[in-house]
Amino acid sequence: MNPADTFPIALSLRVATIALLLVAPVGIALAWIQSKYRYPFRGLVDALILLPLVLPPSVVGYLLVVVLGRQGWVGSWLDRAFDLRLVFTPAAAVIASSIVALPLLVKTAQPVFEGIPRELEDVGRSLGLSPWALFFRISLPVAWRGVVAGLVLAFARGIGEFGATLMFAGNIPGRTNTMPLEIFAAYQLGDDRRALIYVTVLIAFSGLVVWAASRLAPRGVRT
Amino acid sequence: MTSRAPALEATLSLRLRRGGERFDIDAELSLEQGVLVLFGPSGAGKSLTIQALAGLVRPTAGSIRVGGEVLYDGAGGVEVPAHRRRIGYVPQHHSLFPFCDVAANVAFGLPRRERTRDNPRVEELLQELGIHQLAAAHPGSLSGGERQRVALARALAVRPRLLLLDEPFAAIDQQGRIELRRILRQTLANHDMPAVVVTHDPEEALTLGDQLVLFDRGRTVRSGEPASLLRRGQTVTISGELETERATTADGRTTVRLREVSLEAPEELLEPGPDGRVVLRLQAPRDES
Repeated sequence: MNPADTFPIALSLRVATIALLLVAPVGIALAWIQSKYRYPFRGLVDALILLPLVLPPSVVGYLLVVVLGRQGWVGSWLDRAFDLRLVFTPAAAVIASSIVALPLLVKTAQPVFEGIPRELEDVGRSLGLSPWALFFRISLPVAWRGVVAGLVLAFARGIGEFGATLMFAGNIPGRTNTMPLEIFAAYQLGDDRRALIYVTVLIAFSGLVVWAASRLAPRGVRT
Repeated sequence: MTSRAPALEATLSLRLRRGGERFDIDAELSLEQGVLVLFGPSGAGKSLTIQALAGLVRPTAGSIRVGGEVLYDGAGGVEVPAHRRRIGYVPQHHSLFPFCDVAANVAFGLPRRERTRDNPRVEELLQELGIHQLAAAHPGSLSGGERQRVALARALAVRPRLLLLDEPFAAIDQQGRIELRRILRQTLANHDMPAVVVTHDPEEALTLGDQLVLFDRGRTVRSGEPASLLRRGQTVTISGELETERATTADGRTTVRLREVSLEAPEELLEPGPDGRVVLRLQAPRDES
């Protein structure tokens, strides 16, 4: 394969990995907070987290352009204040991937956190553990399988992101052409050989993810 | 003799919802030293009361003083968080951390540097509670009685000021109960550890408690010595080994000493049962009033 062929593979991996690094702390924290605390507008926060999962990716992409585009509410400010333009950059692909990956992580990890017997954390507190220590020494060790399963699914969703990426990051060869975009472009040009490369890579990758997720299915906990 | 502050003085009001049920609890507890039993039917609010003592649920009003130190004072705005109260807690279920073995469970609350396998304190406690051979075992492989012993060792490891036990024998068979009761009494005495034990079982109330508080529909209705609070009419079988023959006191009451508890009552209340057991005829005051 020539460098033009391998670029989309490397770019997709890079985009999905950076997206995962951004999404992981936010998603795990959200899952934990939503599972532990009852506060006003909790339902609204739940709905907002879920939204990118149910909205058509083109709508997510459109909204991203409206908010972060050069004329967007936040985008125009970034342009003025920091000379920062996100549209049609690999960073835009990372943002699009992150937005669609977040709900998968939260929705996979949250029920696992909710399933932790309250008594375990009560005992932890009585043993002198601060809220931070409770999370790292009890919640996470009990729920790690669910959290890792959520991370795997989020990564898979991130690497496969198409619609929002196309609208927000564009399909610029050598810059923002991730594998899913490249498949679409190759298909339109009738270049089956090229499309097949990325189709094969993504199918193999998805198979790996399905296998990993099934291995990580939560098991019964005996305390 | 050194005078010590009472192990526990608490006046609590709790108004809260748990699992769709409304709880209205008003409790008054006091314990100089030894074991205080919270006795009453299920759903009377006993468990929530000890959770409030531990700082795991927030009272609506009242005060909690442990060993003379104020841990909660609704009017004065004092609320020491649970992790700073130094109150041990052994729940009824789900008591052990499933991701580490017995020794690591016992060492769990110790400072990081002391959290080692060969920490002498951990070894001592495992020995004392007769679970030394289980140090490397995982919680999933333990019996109900073994799990409670591990939970007890873990709570004692951090040297709490007060120990709270919620129905500690609930998931244990009869033989295991007798054994665990003996170990519990012995261990609490060895460590000079005041404790509050929640139970709805009169046998446990009588054999464990130095003081007893009766709970009924969210209220503490009476307190005093266990035998004086559980009155005639109800049959309670105390399963224990008889240590002495029956004797009569100067005022005509009959005493019987079991290995774990000494009983004193009017003669008609104490009857010899099968296999060296003693049968007490008692009645819960609830039926009396």
